[in-house]
Amino acid sequence: MTSKKMRQQFADTMLEIGTRDPKLAVLIGDISHFILQPFAKACPGRFYNVGICEPTIISMAAGLSKTGLHPVVHTIAPFILERSFEQIKLDFCYQGLSGNIITVGSAFDYANLGCTHHCYDDFALMKSLPRTQIIYPASVEEFDLLFKETYNNDHLTLFRLPERQHEQVLDPSLIKLGVAIRLTEGHDLTIIAAGPQLKNAVLARQQLALQSKSVEIIYIPTIHPLDAKTIYQSVAKTKRVIVIEEHNIFGGVGDDVSKIVMSIPGVQIINLGIKGFIRGYGRYEQLCQGAGLSQEGILEAAGKIFHSNNESRLV
Amino acid sequence: MNNDLRRKIVDMVCQGKDGHIPSSFSIVDIISFLYKNTLKFDSKNTLWDERDYFILSKGHGCLALYVVLREHGFLTDDDLDGFCKEGGILGEHPDSTKVPGVEACTGSLGHGFPFSVGIALGLRIQNKDNRVLVLVGDGECHEGTIWEAAHVASNMELGNLCLLVDWNGSAAQLMPKDDLPAKWRAFGWKTQVIDGHSQEEIKKALENVHFCSRGIPHVIIAKTIKGKGVPMLEGHGVWHHRIPNDAEYKTIMEALK
Repeated sequence: MTSKKMRQQFADTMLEIGTRDPKLAVLIGDISHFILQPFAKACPGRFYNVGICEPTIISMAAGLSKTGLHPVVHTIAPFILERSFEQIKLDFCYQGLSGNIITVGSAFDYANLGCTHHCYDDFALMKSLPRTQIIYPASVEEFDLLFKETYNNDHLTLFRLPERQHEQVLDPSLIKLGVAIRLTEGHDLTIIAAGPQLKNAVLARQQLALQSKSVEIIYIPTIHPLDAKTIYQSVAKTKRVIVIEEHNIFGGVGDDVSKIVMSIPGVQIINLGIKGFIRGYGRYEQLCQGAGLSQEGILEAAGKIFHSNNESRLV
Repeated sequence: MNNDLRRKIVDMVCQGKDGHIPSSFSIVDIISFLYKNTLKFDSKNTLWDERDYFILSKGHGCLALYVVLREHGFLTDDDLDGFCKEGGILGEHPDSTKVPGVEACTGSLGHGFPFSVGIALGLRIQNKDNRVLVLVGDGECHEGTIWEAAHVASNMELGNLCLLVDWNGSAAQLMPKDDLPAKWRAFGWKTQVIDGHSQEEIKKALENVHFCSRGIPHVIIAKTIKGKGVPMLEGHGVWHHRIPNDAEYKTIMEALK
């Protein structure tokens, strides 16, 4: 484990790849400018702080891709994804062009900046478009490995960089595109965790162990394409699943998991996600608590599932 | 001038029962000139690495592009006959995934120009000297992304980029304060204003454009007439997206003799 910040890893990975691949070019929307200076110096002419014009940055990046480059676009999630969605749809996806969008400030990472700086429908938006990939690395190792694996393939890939990391040690050999990682084995309940919420899943598992409940944790660095096989195999065994993600309850991982497991007889599922707008202020952790994205939220959901005496599906 | 191309446009609209005749008539003289005199291309190898890029950002004028692409061997008569028909490759907006020689999917206004800025930057990054020419409408200049891209291209000194504006007066119908030359100059572009139906003026304007990897980008603001060539179609009104009936067709073709 490392204390390195996600954004520093982003800068380090750009430098490493950029120095060996002359086709990598980085466009930013006036964030991370200073941290990317080593890349800018090592790769002259391939770093541009384009300014506050996110739809144009996306269109320009598609233009770079048209000429054979591997563009990387980086800025704050709501502006580059929600505001620029038509550019993503038409200029990249419809035209079959490839590239990389690397966001910070997803979900409510910028807690006190309020609704204008929140973005928790990014999975839903990007999943709706063909030829997209969504990677949600919540450790620096995941970003580094998954970017290197995917940056020059023929997809448009969203990397959602969270402010917080999950603080778990992962086997690097398991960090691959489209692979869900079974962190612990269990037979009473499956918890599927995305992003930094893995930490809460691990803590909840410890509490449930005190109640003699055996929990299987599945961590999903790749949101799309989702590792349906691993998820199905786990839930077919436990028949109970909780999904926890910092995303809108509509269109997130929970929706996908529901489709994957719906054919399993007697399966019970609870999706923990964001319902409606996050309107409050406070620290990130406080907003998580308010949204039920916490160890307590998982334990409450587990209680509902374990005390349910029928086979109803709870969503 | 280019009445043969205009007649073909009208035939395509009548056969396909869709399309924008006046918007295409205002730019067909410009596009025809570019393909005859300016652009480097290979219609049998449309992805030729040394080609110039032409992007029609005002995608609804695509009929003008289609008939010129036919004239230069990118498309066939069968392609044109399939306009807006099931199984055809030509729709009411150009589609780079279907149409040989079309570099961008446009139609949603304000996309093609910033996309072209990215192409120009990408070419410069790779030390390629291909030129990028892009055509926008004056109505399209209501889109904010046009000015975002204008600002970026000027500051990045994309001298390999030349913009043509079809100044047919569409914008001024809604927003009469429409001093386009002043706007483009204010954004730092070398600005020329010409008659967009004069081959001589188009020629001179393009001769004044000195393409280079780093320099001030050029804009040629072409004063045009929507529906140019057929008095009944000229101006702004019902003909923007109307299909001629039999009598109107005869009138149009008579004017285009």
